[in-house]
Amino acid sequence: MLETFFTGAVLAVIGIYCVVVKKNLLKKLIGLGVFTNCIHLLFISIGYRNGGMAPIVTPENMGFIASYAVDPIPQALVLTSIVIQLSVTALGLSIAILAFRHNKTLDTDKMNKIRG
Amino acid sequence: MLEYMIAVLIVSAFLMLTIRKDFIAIAAIIISFIMVAVIFLQGQITIVRYGDWMPPFGIVWVVDKLNAFIGLIIAGMCSLVAIYSIKYIRHRKHRFYTLLCLMTAGLLGVCLTGDIFNMYVFFEILSISSYGLVAFFLDEHAIEGAFKYLVMGSLGSSFLLLGIALIYGMTGTLNMADIALFASGSSHSPYLIFAVFLVICGFGLKAAIVPFHAWKPDAIEGTPISLGALFATASSAIGVYGIMRVLFIFGLLQLNFVLIGLGIITMLTGALLALVQTNVKRMLAYSSISQMGYVIMAIGLGTTAGLVSGLYHILNNALITGLLFMAIGCVVYITGKEELDEMGINNTPLLICIGIGVLSMAGIPPFNGFVSKWLIFMASWEISPLLTIIAVAASAITLAYGLKIFSSIFFSSRKLEGRIPKTMLIPVIILTLLCVLIGFFPQLGLNMVEPASSALLNQNQYITAVLGGG
Repeated sequence: MLETFFTGAVLAVIGIYCVVVKKNLLKKLIGLGVFTNCIHLLFISIGYRNGGMAPIVTPENMGFIASYAVDPIPQALVLTSIVIQLSVTALGLSIAILAFRHNKTLDTDKMNKIRG
Repeated sequence: MLEYMIAVLIVSAFLMLTIRKDFIAIAAIIISFIMVAVIFLQGQITIVRYGDWMPPFGIVWVVDKLNAFIGLIIAGMCSLVAIYSIKYIRHRKHRFYTLLCLMTAGLLGVCLTGDIFNMYVFFEILSISSYGLVAFFLDEHAIEGAFKYLVMGSLGSSFLLLGIALIYGMTGTLNMADIALFASGSSHSPYLIFAVFLVICGFGLKAAIVPFHAWKPDAIEGTPISLGALFATASSAIGVYGIMRVLFIFGLLQLNFVLIGLGIITMLTGALLALVQTNVKRMLAYSSISQMGYVIMAIGLGTTAGLVSGLYHILNNALITGLLFMAIGCVVYITGKEELDEMGINNTPLLICIGIGVLSMAGIPPFNGFVSKWLIFMASWEISPLLTIIAVAASAITLAYGLKIFSSIFFSSRKLEGRIPKTMLIPVIILTLLCVLIGFFPQLGLNMVEPASSALLNQNQYITAVLGGG
């Protein structure tokens, strides 16, 4: 459990560093992806149980499944969140393409408004 | 009835892409406004259970006085913007209305839901459609504003998701009433405070509180001005609503120096930066940031008077900022310029509307801005007179830049004549009349605000309505 939280924290720092410091539009988007995925990892690890079973209820295991199965809700939520992240990244990339057409560069220092 | 509202909005958004008739989208948005208004007038806690799962399982929508009030403001502003944009947007109108429908669906969804992850999903619908709307003109300003908004907004919603994950890990439930029940039975651990802080960061970005405000002027500069009105009123309202709701769930609505500090910084920074702008859209954007500062400070006071005045100021900010954006949109429609010194126009009714907006924004009696600002001054005086002095000073700066807008239009040497379409003038006149009406009869607004603030203070009623009543 502890190592997942540690990994999550390291990924979060890398992601935020990448968004804030890097000057390239694509690198900023990659940083966003890393940061969101670290949250997904944390979220999954909240519902994880070491040696747990898949949460499929059958007539045989109805009585005791709650004390053995992993929690399925975080997995469902993370799936939703992955789809959302996909659409944000797609929109971000298309805006980056348009920005490249206008400025002929992806470097934020050479554009007027985007700084930091 | 409520369950069909979002369906109507989303279906009409996709119909717009194929049929391309504006009236579908406008009708859908106005229908949603009527639905919210009916629920607001019913005056009891409405609960919609999706798939007939009993709470705390499944997704529920809970409409109490507070979110009915915020929903009414949002749906009202969205319908006015939809009417206003018929003539203002000239090219690719069907895409504009598609995104506007989705944005309305997102705003109302965040506002009316009673499930914390559902809130995140609607928050993302709202965010993604607003990124698209900021980039609508596809010119250099729009693209750069949209990219900046996208990066900052996604960071903000990631913080929101992280906060929700931590809250779920702690309580094991996503239902707001169930979380409130859990939180009322235990002490506030630092872990929980951290989760609440993350959620407040996420919503604070939408409300453009000062450390997170940098996207707003750039985004509004890039958008069509009618959407600027929506970003400055409805988006801010939803951000503040989210903060209030989270504090309400965890029973943290009390004297909060962090919120007061953020409010003061927001108020002063917004007002001072508005003073030095030359582009009218940027100036109004900073002005709306400054108005939100008053609301945040009033909520941070934690008293009943503070909450009443804060909610009242959300209403008044929607009316006043909406009025100024739309009236100045008419000026921009004629002159085609957005710089302050090129905006001379010769149109008396419009100038009267702008004048009322400016005076009301600065809190001059007898207009509506005075009522809520006076309530905020009174509420803050009880905590510390220093807060009142700072708020009055910010109000004085507001008057300064407001007059700058007014004089640049009124005393300009080069005045243009032009006809303004009726569909643009009607929303402006409706908002002006509401400003004057609420200014002369403050009781009208108070009748809406006081039930909302008492709902906010009565956590047990909310919990029993959701979990006990079935």
